[in-house]
Order: sequence, then structure tokens, then C-alpha cells
Amino acid sequence: MATGAAIAVENVSHHYRPPKKRPVHALDQVSLEVGDREFVALLGPSGCGKSTLLYLIGGFMPIESGSIRVNGNLVTGPGPDRGVVFQHFALFPWKTVLGNVLYGLENIGVPREEARERAQKYIDMVHLTGFEDAYPNQLSGGMKQRAAIARTLAIDPDILLMDEPFGALDAQTRGLMQEELLSIWQRTRKTVLFVTHDVREAVYLAERVVMMTARPGRIMESVDTRFDEAGPGVMDRPEFVEKASYIWNRIKGEAIATVAARAS
Amino acid sequence: MTSDGAAPRVALPDPGAVALSALFWKVAPAIPIVGLFALWQILSASGAFNPYLMPEVPAVFRRVALELVNGEFLLNAGATLYRALAGFLIAAALAVTIGIAMARIRIVHWFFDPILSVGFPMPKVAFLPVFMLWFGAYDASKITLIAFASFFAIAVNTVAGTQGVDRHLVWSARSLGASERKILWTVILPAALPQILTGFQIALPLAMIVTIVTEMLMGGVGLGGAMIRAQRFADSIGVFSGIVQIGFTGFVVIFTMRWLRRRLLSWHEEAKR
Repeated sequence: MATGAAIAVENVSHHYRPPKKRPVHALDQVSLEVGDREFVALLGPSGCGKSTLLYLIGGFMPIESGSIRVNGNLVTGPGPDRGVVFQHFALFPWKTVLGNVLYGLENIGVPREEARERAQKYIDMVHLTGFEDAYPNQLSGGMKQRAAIARTLAIDPDILLMDEPFGALDAQTRGLMQEELLSIWQRTRKTVLFVTHDVREAVYLAERVVMMTARPGRIMESVDTRFDEAGPGVMDRPEFVEKASYIWNRIKGEAIATVAARAS
Repeated sequence: MTSDGAAPRVALPDPGAVALSALFWKVAPAIPIVGLFALWQILSASGAFNPYLMPEVPAVFRRVALELVNGEFLLNAGATLYRALAGFLIAAALAVTIGIAMARIRIVHWFFDPILSVGFPMPKVAFLPVFMLWFGAYDASKITLIAFASFFAIAVNTVAGTQGVDRHLVWSARSLGASERKILWTVILPAALPQILTGFQIALPLAMIVTIVTEMLMGGVGLGGAMIRAQRFADSIGVFSGIVQIGFTGFVVIFTMRWLRRRLLSWHEEAKR
């Protein structure tokens, strides 16, 4: 295995075994490498196991077969080296925005004063200044996800694992959040693994798009999606449109297969 | 009236009328209760019933007022509340602990699940003779029975609440470096709290009911005991004033619990309603 890979997934398979039902083959012999400070999007039809792969890297579920290394160390459980952002935010609703952001800082033993300062820094970074004392149920969806991102960034993980983080947001908020994520990434330069089923989002945000097949999920192809131009204007450039339509055509068959499997 | 352009197109309601209507809806819940007392008074004053079987409302309220002044009510209500709350709190501590353990540890679930299934619908008062045999005829047996009766509703709700905690919340806490112990206190417990409180709200009236029943069966100081004494002395006004006192005490207990829930769950969606 090449050194320098932030995330190294090797021959990982996974089955879900719901009680009294047939086991579901979610991942089949998946191997994937994400370089240090690389932004990779994992793209595939819904139900293809891309979130499962993310959860396995996060250490939330036991690894059945194969191995996952993060910065060279075998994954055996969750840890603050891997920050996770979930689709439905997973904020603690009984804590304020500040309380949520402080939570991880307390756990890793940051002194109180410094923790306050760091929390404020990340709250400011995601433009939630003035909402420190608001509870999650008082915030809009976009604001909730900003708070969740601030909470994750505050403990300064090496790796960001993002599970369709903008999937629950409306189109306009989504576009804004994409801009902000890119600007945060450019400032903090973390390794990002970003799960999505939105082709344009994947091509726009990531340096590399990894496509997965329908269930059981396998790695289908990896496409370089770096462009010379930055900013949302790139989405109108012919090379962007061309890449996006190439990826869409590759993934379309898998999406149809998924729908057909559901219908039968 | 459109000549000055500033006149509102829709007439604003008179602020006095708004305040009056707000006041009405504040007292509105009391109206049916007052109506019941009025009906009682009309029936008893009509002469259709023997006044011994249905005394007049003013006489009953005079008795309530008298016992409020001479301390009798506070003494009885205090004894009843002490037993009810002692039993309830013992039950709450045990049931929440066991309920969380059941939801998290398979062997604990295996052991307690059938016990809860059999015990939840069982009439717990049936155990009174057993507890009297074991703990005597005083408070120990009463409080044991009250705790026993309150236990099941809290345990069942705690199990359901704990099992229903969103796994993403637990995962978030883990990836934010929290220990399992810290997750229990800072994630599982608050996330299950709404349903645990629902268990409390079911168990508390049960605790009150069982307290009154044990007092009636075993006598002594307390609202239930006082009613049985009044009945033995053929004091029908005393019996009816006991009903009013029990109703009032129960209302205060339930109302306090509801207030506590609102305070504890101010962060929850339900607080917006």
C-alpha cells in the first residue's frame, strides 16, 4: 500500500444482516485510496453502499473483511482524527450552537478559555455569529448544517467524512453551502471524503470523483475533476459540462439498475 | 374612509376586546369544573336526594375550609404526598437505571423483558397482602407497593426512549471523542428524556391512586385514611370533602409535573407548540 495515503481501503466487503430478513450485500471488495489533503467525492446511485463505506471509515461499524487504514493506522473505532458531518446534521438538540461546538473540545481536553475562543472562531467561520445561544430547533436547515460543520471542524480533525451533507437542503442554500465548503477547505486543507448522489455537486467540489456501482457497491471508475478555473462560473465551461455528462452517462446505467431492482 | 389614505382597510380588533377574550380563554378550563359543582348543588338542593347521601356543596366547602385552617388538610395531604413521592422516586431511580440497561445490554433485556410484559398490565394492588406480610402494616409496605406500581410504566417508556435514540447522535459524540460513560450522560439520557418524562407522567397518577387505595385499606394519617374514618363515623360531609381534597392535591401534582416537563424540554420541538 502506497504511503502518504490519508485513507486506504483494501478489499472491504460488507453485509447488513437485519433480523429475520435476508442479508443485504452492501459492499463488494472495495479498494480506495484518498491522498493527504485530497478532496474526493464518492458518487453512486442511492443504496449503493457509499454511506456504508463512509461509516466503516468512520469506525462506526465493525469491518467484516478487508482492512481500512487512516494515516497508516488500522481503523478499529471512531476517533477525533476523523470528523463526520451527517446528512441530517445530528446536532444535540438540547445544546445551544455554542454548546454543540464546545462538546468535542471538552472531550479532547482543551482548557475552558481556549475552547471558548476556538469555538467562537469556527462559529464565525461558518457565519453563525450572533446565534451562539440559539438551539438547533430555532435554526434553518442550512444554519443547522453550518453549526454541525463548525462542531466537526473545531476539534481539528485530519479528515472530514461528509455523508450527503447538503442533501437535506433546498437548492439555493445548497449552492451557498458548496461555496462555503470550498472556501473552508481552501483555508484548512483537510482531506475530504464527500458522499453524494449529485453529479454536478461531485464534479464541482471534488478534485477526483470515484463512481460506485449499484448494490453490491463496487468501485467503477475514478475521474480527475480538477479544472483550471475556480468558482461557480466553471460549471458553464465546456470541459466541466463534458466531464459531468461523461460521469452521468457512466452512472446512469447503475441508477436504472437500482430502480429496476426496487421495482421487481 | 379612504380619503386620507392612512385608514386601515381591515378594521383592527378593539384592544379591550382582545384582552377580554384572552382573559376568557385563561379561565375557560375552569368552567366545566365549576359547572359540575353547580350541577351537584342543584341536585342536592332539589330535595330529590337524601342530604346524607348527597350533602350540599357549601357544607362540603365549609369543611374543606375548616380543615385547611385547622391544619388537618395539610397533615393528611402531607402524609399522602410523602408516601406517593417516596414510592414514585424509588421507582423512577430503579426503572430508569434498569430501562437504560435493558436497552443497552442484551442479557439485562433478556431477563427483564418478560417480567415487564407480565407485570405491566397486572393489577399491582393485588400485592398489598404480600407486602404487608413482609413489611408490616405501616409506611414501608405502602411505599413498597407504590414504588412497585409506578415502576413498570417508567421502565417500559425508558426502554423505548433509549432504543429510539438516533444512532447518528451517538456516532457524532463518539467521533467527537466522548467516552461511552460520557455518551450515556450527555447523549442517551437527554435524547431519551422526553419519553422518560412521559413514563413519569403515566406513573405519577398511578402512584397517587395506589397511595389513596393503600391508605383506605390500611388506615392511618393521609387523605385516603381520613375519608375511610369519616365514612366509619357516618360523616358524609367528611367523605365528600375528602374527594375534593384528593382531587385538588392530584391536580397540583400533575400540574407541577407538566410544568417540570416544559422546563426540562424547552429545547425540544414540542416546546414550540
